[in-house]
Amino acid sequence: MFKIKFIAQKELWHILRDPRSLIIAILMPIVMTLLYGYAINLDIKNIKLAVIDFDKTSASSDLMGRLYNSGYFSEVTDPVSINDPEMILKKGQANAVLIIRPGLSEAIQKLKSMQNMTSISVDNYELGLIVDGSDANMAAAAGSYSSIVVSQVIKDNLPLGFEMPGIRISRQVFYNPDLKSSHFFVPGLIAIILMMISALLTSVTIAREKESGTMEQLLTTPITPRQIIIGKTLPYIGLAILDGFLVLGFGVFHFGVPFIGSTLLLFVFGVIYVIAALAIGIFISTIVKTQQLAMMGAMMVTVLPSVMLSGFIFEIKNMPLVLQIITHIVPARYFLLIVRGIMLKGSGIELLWVEAAFLIALSIVLLSVATKLFKLRVS
Amino acid sequence: MIQTILALMKKELYQVIRDRNMLRLIFVMPMVQLLVLGYAINTDVKKIDTAVYDFDRSSLSREYIKAKTAGDYFVISSEKPPVLDVERGFKENLYTAALIIPNDFSEKFTRKKPVKVGLLIDGSNANSASITSGYAEMIAMQFNRRQLDLPEPIVMRQQMLYNPESESIYFMVPGIVAVLITMITAMLSSMAIVREREIGTLEQLMVTPITVPALIIGKTIPFAILGFLEMSIALLFGVLWFGIPFAGSWLLLYGLTFIYLFTTLGVGLFISTVTKTQQQAMFFTWFFSIFAILTSGFFAPIANMPEAVQYITYLNPLRYYMIIVRAIMMKGATVEALYPEIIAMIIFGILIFSSSWLRYSKRVS
Repeated sequence: MFKIKFIAQKELWHILRDPRSLIIAILMPIVMTLLYGYAINLDIKNIKLAVIDFDKTSASSDLMGRLYNSGYFSEVTDPVSINDPEMILKKGQANAVLIIRPGLSEAIQKLKSMQNMTSISVDNYELGLIVDGSDANMAAAAGSYSSIVVSQVIKDNLPLGFEMPGIRISRQVFYNPDLKSSHFFVPGLIAIILMMISALLTSVTIAREKESGTMEQLLTTPITPRQIIIGKTLPYIGLAILDGFLVLGFGVFHFGVPFIGSTLLLFVFGVIYVIAALAIGIFISTIVKTQQLAMMGAMMVTVLPSVMLSGFIFEIKNMPLVLQIITHIVPARYFLLIVRGIMLKGSGIELLWVEAAFLIALSIVLLSVATKLFKLRVS
Repeated sequence: MIQTILALMKKELYQVIRDRNMLRLIFVMPMVQLLVLGYAINTDVKKIDTAVYDFDRSSLSREYIKAKTAGDYFVISSEKPPVLDVERGFKENLYTAALIIPNDFSEKFTRKKPVKVGLLIDGSNANSASITSGYAEMIAMQFNRRQLDLPEPIVMRQQMLYNPESESIYFMVPGIVAVLITMITAMLSSMAIVREREIGTLEQLMVTPITVPALIIGKTIPFAILGFLEMSIALLFGVLWFGIPFAGSWLLLYGLTFIYLFTTLGVGLFISTVTKTQQQAMFFTWFFSIFAILTSGFFAPIANMPEAVQYITYLNPLRYYMIIVRAIMMKGATVEALYPEIIAMIIFGILIFSSSWLRYSKRVS
């Protein structure tokens, strides 16, 4: 116990003596939270829509006004060429070009004066929309949002007493009625930061001892390999938990992310998750010899999968089957579901036990493999 | 001068090649990343798991459910869920949307009255929640039009350019290529010089007749070559494996990549002048990379960011390169369409390179 404390103290000195790294380790979570909270918004809003208006009536300006006020489209300041409307898409100054042919106001007039629903002939008037399809999502949204706006125009210009028949969707959104992306990203970010700090730092710190040759010196002392590992990782557990709290605090107090469930439950799972991350870090450091390799290895096995294959941003069910299977060995996948469940939905252990069981099992397997490998390498 | 640069380059290349693990990482990592990211990075909202509560149980309501799942958008995950405990399903992550069809659905519908259908959405993922409701809206609109034979006084005709199959992978893979060469070149160049300093061989180099410019050039050119190699492998992989169309000019892309590498190598060099250990250099580069990736428009559109952040993105060289790679590959853009981005990259490259050059000369003397 005393020996572990000694090693931990030495490691803590290493961290404190290097203020540049420490600042980054503390600043990075804050900056990432700010970036994800403010900047990363996957909602498809502000589609840059250029308009070529041949109609030039109040009807066409009403349509444009509705499009721009819908929140989905934003105006384009650069001029669009009538002869080559595609150029503005190539330059990236617009995502779509709407062409309003002459005759829109007549079509609206006809609509207003109709007697019944079937008295109007089909395909009276066509609007043209040229969409930059490079971003498939945005292109699909540009099409569907503009059709929704057009159907609104039609509905509002129906004669008095007319009502559009048929289905109306009345929607209700749970947990996040304002549809804020930060509610989704901040809890996920806790999983990413914990993994990054724990795995990256431990793998590099052990590799550093190896690179500078001090690992042999440590091993010749009466301290056992197990004690070395525990001692070396303890300070990083502390740092990781500190970072976790930083992100959590920022998310809850600055971005107003709800925290409905139990703090204690989250803390317990956080520690289990950090242990899994540390085990991966140790595992990497036993295989590699230099800090450079340790860092690149840690990035490849921990940070990337945690960001890409965990459901943090990209949904697992959209991936091909092989990748979906791989996601089962990514600890972040389970921790993400747990954090989001506890924070946003107030889920308790009775609903999260499957994820919890997977996470605990994964931690135990990783830790035992890592310590075994470490001992093997040492002897 | 040229001979010393060549000698330095040779040494640097040897150092990379000698380390088998390093070499493996440099070349295998991008392939794995491209493969995994190409498939994983998918912001499409499809196959939304939906629970259906059909209180009408008529042929019309079944028809509506069928229409709802006809596209690739909604998947019915539980047909007969427990009576109105929608929220439990949300908490257990069984489905993310629930459709509630009232018992007077077919009656009202056939009498051409408006009828309300409930859609409950798990809002934890704000993005997919709003897209889910958009899809539901569209499908209801189409269903009404078809079933009730409604007229269409104003029709929207769409023409999709550049990516008619709507493959999001065509958009992501060029972006991944840009991200990969940014990370690799910045990381390698920042760590290479710091390593010399950490081991103490930088002083040894300094006492030789090698000048600072020769040192900088000799140290960065090998990484530029590696960057080009990486990019070529990644691009070939993208075109051959993922079938990404390449609409523009390869020559233009390579030429502009050369300019871009100046900026990333410049950043790496700059980081190496402000850090002392490899760990620090790695941290700083990592920090830069995350920042550059997130504010580049790689997967989150810049137009959605708050205005202040949008101004910050102008300082991000990857922002310009991202636009360039995508525009050349997908739209076949030419210099004429891209010159603002090119000028911005050149200015950034000159600034970052000359400032690290200055810092270097100062530190040395």
